[in-house]
Amino acid sequence: MKSIKPLISPLVALALAGAAVSSFAATSVKATVNGMVCAFCAQGIEKRLSKLPAAKAVYVDLKEKVVAVEAKDGQTLDAKSITAEITDAGYDVVKLETLEQSVADIRAGMKTKK
Amino acid sequence: MIEFVRTAAAKCLCALAAAFAAAGGAAAAPMGFKDSWMSMGDIGPNWKEAWVNYALTPRDAVGAGALYMRSDDGGTTRRLAELNYTRLLQRWNLPHAQANVWFFAGAGAITGNDFDGSRLALAPGLQVDYETTRVYVAATARLYRAPKLNHDFASLRAGFSFYEVDYDEVQPWFIVEARRMRGLSDKAEITPMLRLVHKRFFVELGVNNSEQARANFMYIF
Repeated sequence: MKSIKPLISPLVALALAGAAVSSFAATSVKATVNGMVCAFCAQGIEKRLSKLPAAKAVYVDLKEKVVAVEAKDGQTLDAKSITAEITDAGYDVVKLETLEQSVADIRAGMKTKK
Repeated sequence: MIEFVRTAAAKCLCALAAAFAAAGGAAAAPMGFKDSWMSMGDIGPNWKEAWVNYALTPRDAVGAGALYMRSDDGGTTRRLAELNYTRLLQRWNLPHAQANVWFFAGAGAITGNDFDGSRLALAPGLQVDYETTRVYVAATARLYRAPKLNHDFASLRAGFSFYEVDYDEVQPWFIVEARRMRGLSDKAEITPMLRLVHKRFFVELGVNNSEQARANFMYIF
């Protein structure tokens, strides 16, 4: 028993570090939006979503018809609010999903896809 | 190098759009998103128009505008100051396209250099448009009526973008506009234009079939 004691502290520290990392893992809401064909017109989506209190970053991809919003650390994005903001900007949300990814990760994924 | 040129071009266009806005330019196109202000301008020797409107809802905007019209020979002029209402009657948001039907209503005072005083003018209109990331088509009709005056207006616009761009890049388009107005001009005005669209601004520059320069812009605040 004595022999494993020195191992316990590092394991606990590792577990705590893992928990800390996961608690700050980025969460984003990704929406597929119909009608989004013009950057000048779609700027309303970015402006409106950027004003959401829990929004950290917004990404718009016209080619893939995707809008992604990243939540601030420790905050939760409201899917209904995101849908309402996009609708008020004049567009239709056809799909909404929550991803454990940052907006930068989603953007990188889209670039790779292209 | 290409990135540097793109950035420099974007900055120049921003400055151009801001300059037009500051000058109180003139414009086309209907309204921005809910709770936004939009300024629009359409500037040429025979037609100068400026509008500002505020989107009360995603489908309704109210605003004010000024329009200066001149006959082809420059002998007859009209000036209209109007309050206007824009309504998005119908929108189709498709996976790779958007189509709209817009209604305009304007009312104001019109003056001219061939009659005294001002007259009450009414200016209802309709616009139908269809757009993808590569193709744009629009048809607009607007009546400009006042006692003993009829300056009904119609225009057709069609064009294509040279290539698709990312959301934060400037997209160039080639657009041709044909328009005609009763009472002041007997010929159709044809204007090929270079359209530059960015998320922050919209500018069109061209020369019409009378060899007159034209510029249009839109800017959302």
